[in-house]
Amino acid sequence: MGKGFCALFKKDCRMLASGKFFLMAIGFLALYTAYVNLGYIRFMQMAPYNVYLYDPAGTQVSKSALVQTVPSMEAMDTALLADANGVGLDASAGDVRVVLYPGAEHIDHHRADYALSLLQPSVSLSPEVLDTNTPEQKARKEITCELLFFELAAVGFLGIAAVLFKEKGMGVIRVHAILPLRKDLFLLSKLVVFLLSDLVFAVLLTLLNTGLADGASVLPAVLLQTAILSLMMALVGLLCALLLKDFRQFTLAYLVIAIFAATPVFLSANTSVKFDWINYHPFYHVYMGLKNAYFGTTISPVYYVGAVGTIVLLFLAVRLAFHREIGKEG
Amino acid sequence: MIEVKNLTFSYSKDKQALHGLDFTVEDGEIFGFLGPNGSGKSTTQKILTGILKGHGGKVSLFGQDISAAHGQEFFRKIGVLFEFPYLYANLSAVDNLNYFASFYPREQRRDVRELLDALEFKPDFLKKPVSSYSKGMRQRVSMARALVSNPRLLFLDEPTSGLDPSGAVLFRKIIEQERKKGTTVFVTTHNMVDANLLCDRVAFISNGNLVALDTPKRLKEKNSNHRVVIDYLYQGQRESKTIEAPELEAGIPFAHDEIISIHSQEPTLEDMFIQYTGRGLS
Repeated sequence: MGKGFCALFKKDCRMLASGKFFLMAIGFLALYTAYVNLGYIRFMQMAPYNVYLYDPAGTQVSKSALVQTVPSMEAMDTALLADANGVGLDASAGDVRVVLYPGAEHIDHHRADYALSLLQPSVSLSPEVLDTNTPEQKARKEITCELLFFELAAVGFLGIAAVLFKEKGMGVIRVHAILPLRKDLFLLSKLVVFLLSDLVFAVLLTLLNTGLADGASVLPAVLLQTAILSLMMALVGLLCALLLKDFRQFTLAYLVIAIFAATPVFLSANTSVKFDWINYHPFYHVYMGLKNAYFGTTISPVYYVGAVGTIVLLFLAVRLAFHREIGKEG
Repeated sequence: MIEVKNLTFSYSKDKQALHGLDFTVEDGEIFGFLGPNGSGKSTTQKILTGILKGHGGKVSLFGQDISAAHGQEFFRKIGVLFEFPYLYANLSAVDNLNYFASFYPREQRRDVRELLDALEFKPDFLKKPVSSYSKGMRQRVSMARALVSNPRLLFLDEPTSGLDPSGAVLFRKIIEQERKKGTTVFVTTHNMVDANLLCDRVAFISNGNLVALDTPKRLKEKNSNHRVVIDYLYQGQRESKTIEAPELEAGIPFAHDEIISIHSQEPTLEDMFIQYTGRGLS
């Protein structure tokens, strides 16, 4: 059994290598890392809105250094035209008047409050900090979690399905039906290859984007959640590849799973948008499992029972579809 | 080696593929299984190779019921050449064969290069990916895959498909060599030349029924009209006459100067198939 598994494992690695899967994974890792370090974090550190002040009489003596003074209302109009998110403060008539291009109402209130607060920076707030993460650490963990989830749910899923479609097209699955081999090993070897590849990816992505010390502290929990999601997605990918006729049909299924299933999860987990039904969405719990792992939050044992149950059920379904496939002819 | 009694199989309630087949295949025999598309050939072969479960009747291979013989021990003893050359297109012939051979015990495996050499595989292509091979070369690698484990029972589905005439002759020679080693061969084919030249016995299957089973020679003899056509020269004229074969026992029963040729009017195997089933082979 061990020899058979090794042969299958080696063959699957070669299939992935020849399909440029590993190269693609390295490419994605580089792309994500560049995005986090060169784009996302810098963006998150930027001041939220530029504030422009027209104060000909010089009444605002205690204003923050973040406030940019303009010499005339025309200059303010020009600045706001070029920076539509900016906020203008007109102090020419004594009272300060807020000038801005409108967006969503609650955001506009926030913009106005922020701009006005910069006129009295001495009133500094000292709130009790509940989180141990700095804002940058928090941002890094959030984006790393999202990218890892996307990689496992969309890219890995696509990779395993592509490999199986290839084998299905070549007809070699049927040859395995008459080999002296436990048929389940054919599936297990693929799961192990993808699991290992995803775990390595998760380690590198986490360490490169959350830092060595921070990353190492959350890594065991992150790897556990990665394993759960990786196995689920690999099994769904295998099932789709076995049940669907060709790659075109699979593309449709891929769109449904990767976009329509994942989008509400991202919205619910990362924004103020809340759906009543999101608790019934299986991806939501898996995503929250991964997010909780990054932030060191305890995860309910019920979640693990559900996850293991799902993996077992998916495996049985894949097994059934696989045995049906190997009996096919020509 | 193979014993099949009252074999039935249904894909669904109203789609019975096999209607009670009965046949045996002896040790070391080359047995031909002939039938048109959709006649139940592949279904029978899939049951015999342990791929398809849920049949009715009794099927024994190596003296053991097939239902109990689908473990690894059973698959170690059989080799299967599929109708199409199922190979990893991104791997070379050698890598494909080494991969498939790795599932068998080392002492059972044949040397991959020797095998490819015997099958007259072009050495330049040994390390090139299968995707660059011609159909004939792929068929040679597939045959090598079926033989690499030294099987005791060999299932061959259209073995000479995709081969040129010299390749077909080579394959028939290889199959004959296997038989001489004691391997039992179960051949499914449309090719009457293969069936005629290779098989000790042939079975005709039509609509899931076995309609004839005998040696190719006896099948033809049984259905022969026992006539011969004689071409001859008489007084400078070329003529032709058809007579009953027993008439020849007393010599040529008509005046002639020179006999040019004598042809029996024995039917071909394909004629027999059409006679038994009312259908062509393709």
